[in-house]
Amino acid sequence: MTELNIADVIRALTAELATDPSSLVFLELGELLRRRRQLDAALKVAMAGTARYPDLADARDLCARIHSDAGDGESAFDAWMEALRLDPTHLGAHKGLGFLYFRSGDHRRALRHLEIAVTRTDEPGLHAAIARVRAEMERAPAAPVAAPPAAAEARVPFVLDASSSVDAPAPDPEVFHGLGASQQGLLLLDTNGMRLGGGLRNRDNVDVSDAAAAHMAGVSREAARAARLLELGAWLSVTAECLDGNLHLSAPSADSVLLAVRDASIPAARLALLAERAGDAARRWLERPA
Amino acid sequence: MRALEPWMAPPLETFLDDSSARLALLMTSAGQVVAQHGFTRSLDVMGAAALGAGIVASTTEVARLMGSPAFGALVHQGTRQGMFLSGFDTSRGRWIALVVFGPETSVGLVQLFFERLVRDLAAAAPAELPRGPVLAEDFERELNASLHALFGR
Amino acid sequence: MTAGYVEVLERVSAIGGVQGAMLVSASDGLVVAESLMEGVDGRAVAALAAGLAGRLRRTTESAGLGTPRMVQLRAERGTVLALPTASDLLVVVVARPDANLGLARLEMSDVARRIR
Repeated sequence: MTELNIADVIRALTAELATDPSSLVFLELGELLRRRRQLDAALKVAMAGTARYPDLADARDLCARIHSDAGDGESAFDAWMEALRLDPTHLGAHKGLGFLYFRSGDHRRALRHLEIAVTRTDEPGLHAAIARVRAEMERAPAAPVAAPPAAAEARVPFVLDASSSVDAPAPDPEVFHGLGASQQGLLLLDTNGMRLGGGLRNRDNVDVSDAAAAHMAGVSREAARAARLLELGAWLSVTAECLDGNLHLSAPSADSVLLAVRDASIPAARLALLAERAGDAARRWLERPA
Repeated sequence: MRALEPWMAPPLETFLDDSSARLALLMTSAGQVVAQHGFTRSLDVMGAAALGAGIVASTTEVARLMGSPAFGALVHQGTRQGMFLSGFDTSRGRWIALVVFGPETSVGLVQLFFERLVRDLAAAAPAELPRGPVLAEDFERELNASLHALFGR
Repeated sequence: MTAGYVEVLERVSAIGGVQGAMLVSASDGLVVAESLMEGVDGRAVAALAAGLAGRLRRTTESAGLGTPRMVQLRAERGTVLALPTASDLLVVVVARPDANLGLARLEMSDVARRIR
C-alpha cells in the first residue's frame, strides 16, 4: 500500500467509524495509525473500541502494541495479559509477551510464550526469535532474573516454591520472631493486599510476595463475605489442599491476613498449627508499641 | 452507577459490589429506565431496556399460554458472559432488573444478591407521592431529564 | 437421579454436627441436590461456597499448586467444606464447630466417587 493509499484508507475507515461507532473497523484503523506512528490517535481509537468490546482479545492486543511502541512496557504487559485471559491461545499476546520477557531478561518465560505462538503460525520471524532466545539461554545459564514489568497482581501467575528449605535465610525474623526455619512460606499482609512481613519466592527464586498478597486479599474478602452472609460469624481460616501443596489463610488481627504455604508432604492440619504459631508471632509484632 | 432518585443508589451499589455484576439496569415494566450501571451510551441503555422489557413481556405471555404462573427469572448463559433478567414488585409497581455478569461471579451469586437488592429497595423506598396525569409534553421532558440524570450530562 | 443424590447426601448430613450436605454446580453456584437441616439457607451456601471454591482454584492454579482437592472455610460458628468432583460439581457440607470433620470428609469423598 502506498503512503497516499494508506491515507485514503485511514480517511475511509475514520468515516465508517464515525457513522457506526460500534463497527469493528477500529481494529484496522488503530493498526494503520500505529504503523504511521500516530500513536495518540491510534490509542484513542483502540481505547474507544476496547470500551465498547471489553471481551475482545484483539482489541486488547491492539492496545498492547500501541503501548509497546510508545515505550510503556507496563501497560503493554497488562493489555497482553488481559488478552490472554480472554483468549489463552491469542497469537499476538504470546508474541508480545515473549518480546517483553526477552527484553527484561527472562528468557525462560520468553521462550515459553514464543513456543506457544509457533504452534499457531509458521512465521519465519518466530522461528528466528526462538533460536535467538535459546542461544541467549545457552550463553547465560539460569540465574535470578529481573521481575517482568509490574502488572495487575491478581492476573500475574506467581508460581510458588512451596518446599521448605532449612538452609534458606529466614525471610522476616522480626515479624516471625522465634519461628526459625519454620518461617519459610509465610506472608503477612494487610486487608488491602499490601505486604506487611514475610516473603515468598517462586521456583526461579524471584520474589512474588506482592502478587501473592494481592491474590490473598481477594480470597480473604471472599471468605469474610461468605462467613458473614451465612451467619457463621467472623472467618477464622481458609485452607486449600492441592496435589502440589497446601495453602492456609488466617487472620491474626482484624486488619491483617497471614498466608502459609507448604508442599503436599506437610498435611493441612499440621500447616494450620504452623500458621497458628506464626499468627501468634505476627500478632505480637503488630501489637508492639510503635 | 446512576439512579433517577437518590434512595435507589445505596441498595444498587451494595448489589453491584457483592455480585460483581458488569452491567445492571433497573426499569419499569414499560421499559422506562430508573437506574443503570456500566453502560456508556444512552442508546445502549434504551435499547437494552426495550429489549429486556420485551423479553419479560413475551415470556410472561408464554407462561400464560402454558397455564403456568409467570416465570420468576430468566438466565441466558453465553461463553463469556451471562444475563439475568427478573421482574420484581416495588411500591412503584412492577420493575425489571437486567444484569450482565462475567466469569468472575456466578448466576448463583447474582440471584442471591438480587433477592437482597429487592428487599433493600423495598426498605429504602420513600412513601409514594400522589402523581398527576402524564401529559405528552411532560413525558418528553421527563424522558430527557431521566437521560440527563442517568448519564450526568 | 436427584433422588439418588439425596440418598447419599443424607448419609453425610447424618454425621454428628453436620447441618447440611449438598451437591452444587461449581460454575453456576446453583443447588443440584441437598439434604439440609431446618434454618440452613441452601441457595446462599451453594452460591457462596462455589464462589469461594472458584476463587481459591484460580489462586492455587496461579500459585502453581494445582486444583484444590478440598477447600475448607472455618468461622466462629461453623465450617464449610467443599470438595470438587470430576464433573463440574462440588460436594458441600456445612457443619457446626463440634462436628467430626474427619468423618465428614471421608463421606464427602465417597459421595464424589459415587457421582462420577
